[in-house]
Amino acid sequence: MSPCPEPVKSAAPIGRPRGRFAPVLACLLAVAGVFGLDALLFRTGLYTAWLQPDSSTGLFEMILRREQRSQEKAGNNLVLTLGNSRFGYSRKVIDQLPVKPLYTFRDAGVAGTTPRSWYYMLREIDPTVRRYRAVVLGVDDYDDEDRYYNPSNDVRDLHYVIARLRLGDVPEFAQSFTDADLRWAVWRGGLLKGIIFQSDILEFLTNPLKRIAYVELCRQGFAGWSYDFLDSTRSMTGLQIDWSTYKITFPPGTDEDQRDSVSSWLAHGPEPQTGRLAAFRRAWFGRIIDRYQGSPTRVIFMRLPRGPIPRPDGLVKKRSASIREMAARPNVVLAPEHVFDALERPELFKDGMHLNREGINRFSVMLAAETARILGPPEHDTGQAKACPTGGACFSLPRQDKR
Amino acid sequence: MLFNTTHFFIFLAVVLALFYSSPRVLRRYILLAASYFFYGTWNYKFIILLLTLTAIDYTAGLWLERIPAGPRRKAVLIMSLTANLGFLGFFKYFNFLAANVALAMGKPAHSLFWDIVLPLGISFHTFQSMSYVVDVYRGQQKAVRNVIDYALYICFFPQLVAGPIVRARNFFPDLWNWRAPSSGDVSRGLFLVALGLTKKMAFADQFAKVANNYFGNLAGNPGVVTAWSGVVAFGLQIYFDFSGYTDMAIGMALLLGFHFPVNFRRPYLASSITDFWRRWHISLSTWLRDYLYIPLGGNRHGRWKTYRNLMLTMLLGGLWHGASWNFMIWGGYHGALLSVERLLRGDRPVSERWTWLYPLQAVVTFGLVMIGWVFFRAADLPQSLQVIRQLFGGPRGHLLLEPWHIGLAVVALLLAIAEEKLDWFERLMDAPVIAYASAMAVMLFVLEIFGVIDVRIPFIYFQF
Repeated sequence: MSPCPEPVKSAAPIGRPRGRFAPVLACLLAVAGVFGLDALLFRTGLYTAWLQPDSSTGLFEMILRREQRSQEKAGNNLVLTLGNSRFGYSRKVIDQLPVKPLYTFRDAGVAGTTPRSWYYMLREIDPTVRRYRAVVLGVDDYDDEDRYYNPSNDVRDLHYVIARLRLGDVPEFAQSFTDADLRWAVWRGGLLKGIIFQSDILEFLTNPLKRIAYVELCRQGFAGWSYDFLDSTRSMTGLQIDWSTYKITFPPGTDEDQRDSVSSWLAHGPEPQTGRLAAFRRAWFGRIIDRYQGSPTRVIFMRLPRGPIPRPDGLVKKRSASIREMAARPNVVLAPEHVFDALERPELFKDGMHLNREGINRFSVMLAAETARILGPPEHDTGQAKACPTGGACFSLPRQDKR
Repeated sequence: MLFNTTHFFIFLAVVLALFYSSPRVLRRYILLAASYFFYGTWNYKFIILLLTLTAIDYTAGLWLERIPAGPRRKAVLIMSLTANLGFLGFFKYFNFLAANVALAMGKPAHSLFWDIVLPLGISFHTFQSMSYVVDVYRGQQKAVRNVIDYALYICFFPQLVAGPIVRARNFFPDLWNWRAPSSGDVSRGLFLVALGLTKKMAFADQFAKVANNYFGNLAGNPGVVTAWSGVVAFGLQIYFDFSGYTDMAIGMALLLGFHFPVNFRRPYLASSITDFWRRWHISLSTWLRDYLYIPLGGNRHGRWKTYRNLMLTMLLGGLWHGASWNFMIWGGYHGALLSVERLLRGDRPVSERWTWLYPLQAVVTFGLVMIGWVFFRAADLPQSLQVIRQLFGGPRGHLLLEPWHIGLAVVALLLAIAEEKLDWFERLMDAPVIAYASAMAVMLFVLEIFGVIDVRIPFIYFQF
């Protein structure tokens, strides 16, 4: 079992004499060959079309493609929402409202993502920056509170966006990580995507037919499944937090995940405020806003319901409010900060950070109403719509009613 | 600083740049400094040990050349060997001995333990050093006058920690008559470094995951098929791991203008255990032959003494790998197999000719070698016995290897057969640049797709 080509001990060169630089040329060609093979497989969609749908990249791609496809038939009054798992709402609930909603909501949010991933998602979904009436970004807070979690160094972003990362993106994407090892990993993976896809490929090779069948199944069913999805009915009713001691009283039957989410998301002391979250938000929300500068699309920030029992305002002395600063930019709107406060009740949350089914239903209605209120009634775009490269139509309605 | 790390490749690039941009007279100093730096990154304190052994054997070499044959000369040899074996024995075998003494006294095995750190590569550089002294004693090697040259021979970084065990007669001609490597050597060197890295990270480390899963949880992995797949995974791991390291060492040496001997010759294609040992870790097996088996009498004193010598050599060879009964048993197992083969074969030479029986012989040999690896890999004797029991009885179990593992093994097997019969490596080195580059690109792509990158799995032989 050996591919071992052991060398014969020899002081003299064997074989045809080559030029002095032949080995260097050969190595350069070999490196070019590796990049070529990598690009052929992973930059053309040849492999990424068959990614495991349950993986980070696979889910991101599935959602991205669903949204691209939906643009062809979803009309012109589209509102795109972007966020992580905390931005949970139901498009079905909105569509079934007794009064037909003014806007059609599309959800490109992916659990576990950060604004860094949202930027690339937007770039792919809306290459003309004119496809949506508004892009709604769900955020935890308009002020910047540094917590234990450092989004700059969340390597999951690399895995979410890897299929969409272009060679030109790699330097900036890598630099956005502050940890040197992660930067190196991002450089490496961004240049040679096979490294990032490795576990997916090995799983594919374990049973290619099963994978292909599963991907086909997901392609057919994903849009419907996500539309019809009903979240958990569990609640945190009975949850209490003593903010002076961070002592938590859990309701009976609370499982470990629920406990963890409460203690890690809500009931913890202040972390040192270094400004890293503000820097991260300014960088990536800044890029999103820059992208929509001069576009008719509005960028709306919405503070999501903070939790079953929100952390008291004075718990941490927040040093900056990057999102409030962004409200000064053209096209950017901040929804009223307290618009969803009514939902911050234990009975509407399934754990320490996510709404439950009832919470999602109520939030969906409020989200539609608040968005419509901010955007106002959609103007008729007859004659103004033009063909959009992503399908459907692009609109060009400059709006001024900024809050 | 493992060979399969970014840090090491930066180090190698710096060494190559410094080496080739410096005047010739400085180059050996650069290599020496780089080698001590390389060793020091693991534990700088043990550089003192390396320097001490270097000084002892360098001095012994000079004395041995000056002193005429007689008891004084022998005393110098014994002094040198005692120093080498003393250091090796202390660092490697003290706790093994202490554990057995403690058990014999009815105390817990750990009760007499000392907190001893095993110096990296001590088994390799002491054997290399001893071979030099013995060769000088035998008059087969001139004593080295320049201490820098001798120090470099002992600590040359490509082979310092896990061989191959280079003989003085192979090393010094390259050093003293140093010539810039030909473009063929550079091609070979670069290809071997890439090949070694691929063997280690894409093959060995993938099989390591399977083997570690099996040996780390025997109770959770019952069954004959499970056991065989776990053991075969280790057999493949150790081959790709060690031969990968060796390829890298040979390749790096070539890039620096040095030619190391072959250390592996497709061992899993061996048709007998004797053939296996002519193909596996050749620098150690020839060392054991030249400095142990033949001095013991070899096959010159009748059948039974030949068997005894084979057993003794392999037992000590086993013990060289590590201080445990398992390694002794592994060595003894191979000694016994060699003796049985010798008994059955008589004085007929081992045939490497491919006949219709060859595949069967190779499969049987492979199976026997795999059984031996159980003792090599298992944590202790009870675990070894448990694995052996699982190999030959109990429920059917399940295959731990995924189809792509088997695919990797089959590709490796086909390449090995092609190398054995068609000598593809040399043909490739002789082929147009585009063919060489294509082969290298495919290999590096395999490394990209299969290489275990985020988990650092140390080279197995670094522990010896």
